[in-house]
Amino acid sequence: MSLLKINIESKSYGGLNVIDKLNLEIEKGEFVCVTGPSGCGKTTLLNIIAGLDLYYSGEVLYKNEPLAGCASNRLLIFQELGLFPWLTVQENIEFGLKFKAIAKAERVKIAAEYLDMVNLAKFKDSCIHELSGGMKQRVALARALVMDPEILLMDEPFSSLDAQTRDMLHGELQRIWKITKKTIIFVTHNVREAVCLGDRVLVLSMIPAHLKAGFFINLPRPRQIESDGVIDNVKLVMAELTSEIKKLYEREFNA
Amino acid sequence: MHKKTARQIIFYLALLALWQALIISKLWPGYIFPAPLKVAAAVIEGFRNQTFLIGIMVSFKRLLIGYGISIVFGGTLGMLLVKFKTLEQTLGNLILGLQTLPSICWFPLALIWFGLSEWAIIFVVIAGSLFSITMSTHSAFKNIPPIYIQVGKNMGARGIGLLWRVFIPAAIPSLLIGLRQSWSFAWRSLMAGELLFNCLGLGYLLSMGRELNDMSQVLAVMFLIMLISIFIDRLIFGKAESRIRLRYGL
Repeated sequence: MSLLKINIESKSYGGLNVIDKLNLEIEKGEFVCVTGPSGCGKTTLLNIIAGLDLYYSGEVLYKNEPLAGCASNRLLIFQELGLFPWLTVQENIEFGLKFKAIAKAERVKIAAEYLDMVNLAKFKDSCIHELSGGMKQRVALARALVMDPEILLMDEPFSSLDAQTRDMLHGELQRIWKITKKTIIFVTHNVREAVCLGDRVLVLSMIPAHLKAGFFINLPRPRQIESDGVIDNVKLVMAELTSEIKKLYEREFNA
Repeated sequence: MHKKTARQIIFYLALLALWQALIISKLWPGYIFPAPLKVAAAVIEGFRNQTFLIGIMVSFKRLLIGYGISIVFGGTLGMLLVKFKTLEQTLGNLILGLQTLPSICWFPLALIWFGLSEWAIIFVVIAGSLFSITMSTHSAFKNIPPIYIQVGKNMGARGIGLLWRVFIPAAIPSLLIGLRQSWSFAWRSLMAGELLFNCLGLGYLLSMGRELNDMSQVLAVMFLIMLISIFIDRLIFGKAESRIRLRYGL
């Protein structure tokens, strides 16, 4: 049985059809990267899975049950992160636990565990604006992980970072994924990043989005973004993606 | 920083010297234009015989009651305007209009409703600051970056929890700016009200100075009022604001 079964018939924003017949299944513990031409509805897909967007036709089944709104078993890490500047690093990480009615002592214990996991224990009392871009990403990751979600949804989390920080976070994320055994759905424009991280890389078509192609990446982990295996697979994925991007440009230029 | 302080000291000393020079030149009689030392003596006398202290206490009591009521009701009203679109389009529009009315225009109405009483003055203070608090609360909440609200909901915050842990802290920097501005509206309304009403308070001391033709007292009280304004605005609101800005990384 798949953890998540997605059968979206259609989804539109004010007359614009964004998704058209998108069907896919995701297994428990899988690391799935989703890529596609810009504006193809990747973020929309994440919002639907997160339960933030309820207006579409079709159905999304989580453990064979239809989704009903947000739940802490599916957490989204937004592209802009949205860390709270009025809270310290530790308080940010504890944030969601308060709504689970977990006592203070227990919250601190859980937060400490994840602070260690993302290597931020030394910065637990820092303000958010004092952190570097990579540290902020790790705070956002820890803030989601403390909630013990089954599925972690990540929307282009590393797109605004410099290359070195990104490489470091690729390693961190693979390590944390291995420890926590979460199911991760990771949206990115960067095909190399997708191949480096994913068990499976999905290519969406231009809008209205459907599943254009899927690739299983059978490479040993931890993977390095510049390794030969990654580069070979990137070529395969790029071939599919490029044809979609070409179509998109043709349509835009002819419009 | 050192240079700046030195310049300021020189400027004020020069101003005092000019003032004294004008006194020596005897251009105006002393009851119209008193000497700096006389004004200083009036300040000291005011504090010595406790009239200033009583004035400050009476004024602050009125101010705190009026401003406090404005914060509670104006703040609540501002949040309701954010929550209910219809209210925003109707009552919000009216409040925007009422806010433009100079607060002292409420004084005749206050006198008819409350007579010559404490509540007439407090009412003017409320009328001067409540609408400003309503509108600034409204815009503070409206301008919260949507990402914070999305994250809050995604993390399971709902209703009061979402309001208390996300909306209010996210709005605090703008709320504080609104509070600072409404404070100055409340303060000005109070002074205007006390000048007209004549029953203790700082405005009353000012108007008594005029009735006694005691220019030294008038200037002394004006000086005192200015010092209080600066103290509250710079030291209390200014400090709070810079602390918040530091914390929020603004």
